[in-house]
Amino acid sequence: MEFPVFFWAALGWMMFWGVLGSIATRYVYLHKDLDTSSTRLLGSMMGAATGPIGLVPLWIKTPEITTRLIIFATLGTLGVFMTAFALADPGNLCVTNGSFVASQISNGVIIGIIYGFMALGLTLIFSILGVVSFAHGEFYMIGGMVTYFMTTVLFPEVTPIVGIAAACILTFMLGALFERLFLTPMYDGRVDRPVEYGILITFGLAFTLQYFVQATVGANPVKAKRFFDFPRLRLPSAEDPWLIKTSRGNMELFETISISNPRFTAAVMCILVFIALMYFLRHTWTGKALRAVSQDRQAAAIAGINPDRMNMLAFALGSMIAALAGAMLVQAFSWLPQVGAIPALRSFVIVVLGGLGSIPGAFLGGIIVGLVEAAGTGCIPDPQKAASYIPAYGMIVLTLTLLLRPTGLLGRKFASGTHGKF
Amino acid sequence: MNKKNIPQMAGAALIAAFAIFPFVYSANDYPYIMHILITGFFYAILASSWSMLAGYAGQFSFGHMGFMGIGAYTTALFSHYLYLTPVPTNLCTEFPIGDMYLIILDPIGITSSTLTQDCLRQALDIWDGSVQVTPMPVWLGIALGTMMGGIFGLLIGLLVLPLRAAYLALFTLGFSEILRATVSAEIAVTRGQAGIELPYLFDNGITLFGHQFDKTDKLPPYFAMFFLLLACLGILTWLAKSKFGLFVRALREDEDAAAALGVNTVRYKVLVFVITSMMAAAAGAMMAHYIRIISPNNLIILQMSLVVAMAVIGGVEHFVAAALGAILLEYMLEYLRNSFEIGPIVVDMTTWRLVVFGILLMLTLRFSPKGLLVPMIDYFKRGHVRKETMAKRNAENTP
Amino acid sequence: MTNLVVHDLHKRFGGLQVLKGVEFEINGAELIGLIGPNGAGKTTLTNILDGAIKPNSGTVYLNGVRIDQLAPYQVAKVGLGRTFQVTRSFRRMTVLENLYVPAMALDRGYSKARIAEKAMEILEFLTIDHLRNEYAQALSGGQQKLLELGRLLMHDPEVIILDEPFAGVHPSLMEIIYNYINRVNESGKAIILISHQMDSIFTLCKRLLVLNGGVLIADGPPDEVKRDPTVIEAYLGTDEDEDMHHDAQASQA
Repeated sequence: MEFPVFFWAALGWMMFWGVLGSIATRYVYLHKDLDTSSTRLLGSMMGAATGPIGLVPLWIKTPEITTRLIIFATLGTLGVFMTAFALADPGNLCVTNGSFVASQISNGVIIGIIYGFMALGLTLIFSILGVVSFAHGEFYMIGGMVTYFMTTVLFPEVTPIVGIAAACILTFMLGALFERLFLTPMYDGRVDRPVEYGILITFGLAFTLQYFVQATVGANPVKAKRFFDFPRLRLPSAEDPWLIKTSRGNMELFETISISNPRFTAAVMCILVFIALMYFLRHTWTGKALRAVSQDRQAAAIAGINPDRMNMLAFALGSMIAALAGAMLVQAFSWLPQVGAIPALRSFVIVVLGGLGSIPGAFLGGIIVGLVEAAGTGCIPDPQKAASYIPAYGMIVLTLTLLLRPTGLLGRKFASGTHGKF
Repeated sequence: MNKKNIPQMAGAALIAAFAIFPFVYSANDYPYIMHILITGFFYAILASSWSMLAGYAGQFSFGHMGFMGIGAYTTALFSHYLYLTPVPTNLCTEFPIGDMYLIILDPIGITSSTLTQDCLRQALDIWDGSVQVTPMPVWLGIALGTMMGGIFGLLIGLLVLPLRAAYLALFTLGFSEILRATVSAEIAVTRGQAGIELPYLFDNGITLFGHQFDKTDKLPPYFAMFFLLLACLGILTWLAKSKFGLFVRALREDEDAAAALGVNTVRYKVLVFVITSMMAAAAGAMMAHYIRIISPNNLIILQMSLVVAMAVIGGVEHFVAAALGAILLEYMLEYLRNSFEIGPIVVDMTTWRLVVFGILLMLTLRFSPKGLLVPMIDYFKRGHVRKETMAKRNAENTP
Repeated sequence: MTNLVVHDLHKRFGGLQVLKGVEFEINGAELIGLIGPNGAGKTTLTNILDGAIKPNSGTVYLNGVRIDQLAPYQVAKVGLGRTFQVTRSFRRMTVLENLYVPAMALDRGYSKARIAEKAMEILEFLTIDHLRNEYAQALSGGQQKLLELGRLLMHDPEVIILDEPFAGVHPSLMEIIYNYINRVNESGKAIILISHQMDSIFTLCKRLLVLNGGVLIADGPPDEVKRDPTVIEAYLGTDEDEDMHHDAQASQA
């Protein structure tokens, strides 16, 4: 970075006005007897973006806080932040190279879709059982491991779908079994503090699964082969393929954006499964029953739905979704028994950001986190540091969410153990 | 003999046993057993302070190992970067203190051994042995580490005030992950994955009981860690018996009701974070000087899982039980390390023992949520309660 | 002498105006019933008095100290205590420990022996002394209610708000609660009693406050309030006796 002092000074300025804005705006709105629910978010964003220039009129006029206003202020903050970065480090690839930025953004969105899909499983479990599963990352890891063994070691000839299906079936059964054996005491008051019990028992499961896999598979990284190759495409023509150009493992769009095959396959698969899942939730009896239980457990029970079975289904399904994400990504990354920790943490961040229990929130949060990580890894000057800091990017998002908008982007309730809705 | 006093007497006997153990045990594996016990004490401090935080106060934080790391890294950086010399180097950043100079080394990361030399080494080359350089006292580093743990405990405690249950667990887990990421990334200062080396706990050896001990001897660190454990348990017992223990349990059960009865819930929630973080940091700082290297691998989630599992298996709501559980499980983990063969298959127990451990954790939670030791203590301590209740009920029923 | 002055309280949540200028004053050891239909603002009023939420405007003074901007624990120290609609005992602490919490929190400088003695005396009065070392979660619902009342005695505030003390209580325990209320009142404490059980309210209270739609529509002796046309219209319905009877039965069930 050429002028780090300038960057940190600008960041300090933004933080100062952001903190001041979040505190003072809330105070002003409270004092004027107005709705204060979004004042923290708007005040901090307005302060960070414009400093006193925007805050003072806001305090004087105190307009009704609309989503549009918040988005406007947030975009402003982003703009100021990016300008400060660009001025401080004019030689950075993120500043000078447009196609690099476009590539980072599209890759961020694609990986974000997969992240969001994985977080979806967590949200599903939470909204039915009221439990945050700390074993989510381990199901992700197992999904990848099973797929690796099926497609690369045991049956290299058969279609990868078989491997993915095996991973899904195995984790679904594992999830159901675990729920029956260990989570049932939560529902009928047999444990003193059900939420904490849920945290600890899934934590124990994570630990057990991780070391079970390490004991059986070993601690060396493995890598699955690519599921399928891109067909050779040259558009609009073979001589001048500016629109799209593919090789077996890569796709290039508009001569700028380059997308790797495994990630692209994974994202497409995630979207397809997501559509199937939405159909299941909205148009089948079981899916409707699941939604009913997430909204009002007692009413659902009176209506003849067995909430206990829905618990089992939700946990199994949620774990299976994590495994599916792992199964898709095993072709993109090298795989270790410890590989689940960071995606698990990331899923938590996404779920809190999107709003616990909200399905669209999970996808939106996934894409945002994907973009933030792409920006972080792409733009931080020292690439080795940038990679080491990967878990930190999500945590910055989490901290900001908890401080500024604890309900998450699309969440309705903020509570401990209060069930979300979807 | 009163049944109620049995746990106390057992505890006193155990302390006595641990105190005389190093003098009576003399088998070949003496250093190994001592090492296990020192590590056991270290985990005992972490497990018991975590049980105060999670079991007593109900704050299920997964950042405890992060505070441990803060203590360890503070003393590591302190002893690695600060020295005292009688003459200025004119190369380093330095401040005169009295007739000495405080030298702050320039961070050069892990390339130092082959390529660049840090400023003090360059100065030493120039001086050619004519100047005596004094390292910082180890105890000061440990004290600073403890303090730093307290400061971070205060910050995190204030940040997580509005968070409950799962949110708290996530946030604190994230905190320790950020810490680990930072330590791994800032290679120039922390030497990253290579880890940073520390001086011995007693670098010049120590004379105890009229016997001169070398710096590599296990007995002095054994007693240092043992007394730190006793001090922590003493403080925790005192806190639990005073109104502090009463209040944090009340706010664990129902924060609003406690506040309505006059308990300053904010103060006690932050205080419990500060105190337990300081304990974790102190344990981490001392342990770092004992094993003499600290790296980001000491901060991975596995380490936190071990502490959680030890506390839960011992009894998460009873810190003495948690401490005992930690010592026992540390011993068990070491004992299970021996791999064995079934026919042609070699069972590598170094990993399988952790699986056993995980299953034990889950089964304990499921079938004996109070832990394995607490029911025994309760049997002696609370055995009379049922009788009391029944006596009154019977008296009422037989007019 | 106890003096609670509530002046012009307003509170709104988002667009919903819950309290619209509530004003009343309590002087001395009064026993006051606070009634009103569901959603009238009783719970909001209680929470504001207790410090759990802050009003948008208006003031509350207790014995000359302004308490509407204080935190709940500070309000408790000034001298206002409450029970909760849903019993909130410290479930995994023993009965005695439950009682020690307020005694220690308010720190009146009593010795431990003195506190223990007082706690035992209170437990005997509430007839749950044999359970003193049991965990609160082992107690029945009614006994937990008694325990909550016992905690208040240890707290010993000037003004006590009892939120539905009779709900879900076995008739045999009702008498104990009646005695409790009278005893506390006679020792010079003001009591605000919130209940849907009209017969209890009419038996115990000498003054009634009626809240409806966030407005205090009546304040006076029970007989007077009973005949007040606004109260009859707003709360009791047209056929007052039958409705009141019905209400009492419903809350007992």
